[in-house]
Amino acid sequence: MRSKRNLFNTDSIDKIRKKGEKWQRQVYPTEKQRQEVFKTLSGIPIEPIYTPLHLVEMDYLEDLGFPGEEPFVRGVHPTMYRGRTWTHRQLAGFGPPEETNKRYKFLLKQGAMGINGVFDYPTLRGYDSTDPEAYADVGRGGVAIDTVEDMRILFDGIPLDRVSSSLVTCQPIGNISVQSMYFANAQAQAVPFSELRGTSQNDFLMETAVAIAPEVFPPRASFKFSCDAIEYCTKHVPRWNPVSFAGYNYREAGCTAVQEVAFVLANAIACSEELIKRGLEVDRFAPRLSFFLSGHSDFFEEIAKYRAARRTWYKVMKERFGAKDPRSLALRFHVQTAGVALTAQQPLNNIARAAYHALSAVLGGAQSVHIDAYDEALCTPTELSSLTALRTQQVLQLETRVTHTIDPLGGSYFVESLTNQLEEKIVALLDDVEATGGIVKAVEKGWVHKEISSAAYEYQKAIESGEMQIVGVNCYKIEDEKLPVELFRVPETLEVQRAKLERIKKERHSKEVQKALDALLRCCEKDGNLMEVVVEGVKAHVTEGEITKVLKGYYGTWNPPLF
Amino acid sequence: MMEMRKIRILLAKPGLDGHDRGIKVVARALRDAGMEVIYSGLHQTPEQIVNTALQEGVDGIGLSILSGAHNAIFSKIIALLHEKGLSDLLVFGGGTIPPKDQERLKSMGVGEIFTPGTDTREIVSYLKEELE
Repeated sequence: MRSKRNLFNTDSIDKIRKKGEKWQRQVYPTEKQRQEVFKTLSGIPIEPIYTPLHLVEMDYLEDLGFPGEEPFVRGVHPTMYRGRTWTHRQLAGFGPPEETNKRYKFLLKQGAMGINGVFDYPTLRGYDSTDPEAYADVGRGGVAIDTVEDMRILFDGIPLDRVSSSLVTCQPIGNISVQSMYFANAQAQAVPFSELRGTSQNDFLMETAVAIAPEVFPPRASFKFSCDAIEYCTKHVPRWNPVSFAGYNYREAGCTAVQEVAFVLANAIACSEELIKRGLEVDRFAPRLSFFLSGHSDFFEEIAKYRAARRTWYKVMKERFGAKDPRSLALRFHVQTAGVALTAQQPLNNIARAAYHALSAVLGGAQSVHIDAYDEALCTPTELSSLTALRTQQVLQLETRVTHTIDPLGGSYFVESLTNQLEEKIVALLDDVEATGGIVKAVEKGWVHKEISSAAYEYQKAIESGEMQIVGVNCYKIEDEKLPVELFRVPETLEVQRAKLERIKKERHSKEVQKALDALLRCCEKDGNLMEVVVEGVKAHVTEGEITKVLKGYYGTWNPPLF
Repeated sequence: MMEMRKIRILLAKPGLDGHDRGIKVVARALRDAGMEVIYSGLHQTPEQIVNTALQEGVDGIGLSILSGAHNAIFSKIIALLHEKGLSDLLVFGGGTIPPKDQERLKSMGVGEIFTPGTDTREIVSYLKEELE
C-alpha cells in the first residue's frame, strides 16, 4: 500500500495554523456569538470556520477520488447529474387499487419518472382487507391489495417493462405476497422477469424494531423472509433491487443521522453474510442492494451523511466481503424528505422545508428522490399537494443548475470535515452493533429499540426546551390558525375490496388454492426459499391473508420489547 | 402527610398503523411527570383496550391514531366503555386528526385531541387538571 499523500504541505499547514490561532484570539469575538455552542442535529460541535487544518490528514485520491470510482465519495456514476438526473419518484397510494391507478397515471403524465407505490397498513402487515383486525385501516396510508387481481388493476395500462416501480413493502411479511403478486402479474402480461425494473423495501427492522407491534414475526423469521426475496431476485429477476434498507423509517422513528446510517449498514452486512452462507458470491447480489435514506433538516450534516455512507459502505464491501464489482462497492440510495420535520401548523411552510431537504439530497448525490407533500402532517396528499411536490423536484432539476457539476460541495473544508466525523461515528456504532452480536441479535435483545426511543425522546425535549426551533411550532406561531389547505378524504375501500374478495373466492379453484398453501407449508418445513412457492401460489388467487396465516402458524409470533 | 395517588394512564395505539414515535414519546413524558403509564404496543383492538382499562383500573385512556382511522376507532371504544359502565373514564387522543373530526370526536365524548407539534407539557397539565 502506498503511503498517504496529504493534500496540503507541512509548511502551508503551519502558517495557516499560526494565522488561524491569531484570528481566533484577536479577531473573532466569541462573546458576540448568538449562542455558546453550535451543533449539528446529531450533536457534532460546529466550529466558527473550517480550514485546511481540518483536513491535514486528507489524501485526495484515497479519501475522495473521482465519481464512479473508489471510494465513491464524490458519486456512484462517472457523469452523475450531467448524464442523467435523479429519478423523480413521488410516493402514491390510497384507497382501492382502482383509485391509486388513476393517481399513478396522473403523476406519470405530469413527468414523474417512476412509480413509488405505498400500501395500506393491512397490506403491509400481511392482512386481507376483510380481516376483523383490519377494518379501520383499509385503504389508509396506501393502497389495499389482497390478491393478484388487485395488482393487475393497480398497474392497468402502465407498461411494466418500461416504467420502474418501487414497492414500498416495508415489512418482509407483506413484501413476500405483494412482490410475488407484482411478478405474477408481470408474467400474466407476458413481460419477462429480465425486463422488470424496480425496488422492494423488504426490511426486517421495519417489522421488528421500527413501527413495532405485538405478535409480529420473530426477528429471525422476518430476516429469513427478507433474505429469501433477495436470493430469489438475484436468481430470477436480475434488474430488480430486492431490498431497500429503510434508514428513512428508522430516522422517522427517532434515530439520529449516525444511527440511521449505522443501522442500515449493519442490516446490509447481516443480509450479505446470510446470502454468502446460502452459497451466493458477493458480487452476484451486492450490486442490487439499495438504500433508502432520510433528507432531514440539518442541511450540511445530511450532505455529509450521504457522502460518509458511501465511503463506509465501500470499505465494508471491499475489506470485509472482498467485493470487486464496482457496483457492489457503490452505495446507491433513494431519499425521501423527512416527514417528521413537517408541521401540521402553517402547512404551506412545508413546501420550503421539503425543498431544502431535497436540495441536500441532490447535493449529496441521491439516485432518486421523493419530496413530501405540504399536507402530509395532516392527511394523505391531495392531487394539488402531490403535484406541487413533483414540481418542486422539477424546479430543482431544471432551474437551479445545481446539476451542472458533480459533488459541488466536495472539497468544502466544512463538508469534508463533517463527512470524516460522521464516518468515524458510524463506524463506532457499527462496532457496537457487532459487539452486541450483529443486528439480528441486537433486535432480539431490544438494544435497537432502546437506542431509537431514547433518541426520539431527546429530539422532543430539544424542541420543548426551545433549543431546537421549529417555525410555527415553538416560534412564529399563529394562534387559532385556520387551515389554508383542503384535506384529502380516503375513498370507500373496504366494501370495494370485500366485494372483489368474495367474487374471487367464489370463482377460484379451491383445490389449487389448497395445493398452493400446502406447498407453502412444506417449503417452510424444509427451510426452502418461500418466494419460489409464493410467486406460483398467488397465481391461483391465494390471498395475502391466507399466506400470512400459514407463515404465522409455522414461525410463530414474537412480542418486541416496549420502551 | 398522605401520599398522592399516582395518575394511571393507559396509552394504546389501535389499528395496524406503525407510526409509534409519538405515543412512545408521550409515554415517557407522562412517566417523567410522575404518572403511571401502561403502554401495550401497537395492534390493540378496541375490545382489548377497554378490557385492559377495566383490569388496570386506569384514570384515563390515551389513543394515538395517525392513519386516519380515528372516527371508526374512537366511536367503537366510546361505545364499549358505555357498555361496561365506564362512560366516566377520560378518553383523549392524538395524531393526524383534522379540525372538523376533532369537533366530532369531542361531541362524542372525547376529552381532548392533541395534534402533531403539541408540547408534551401541555398533555401533562391537561391530565393533571382533569384527573387530580
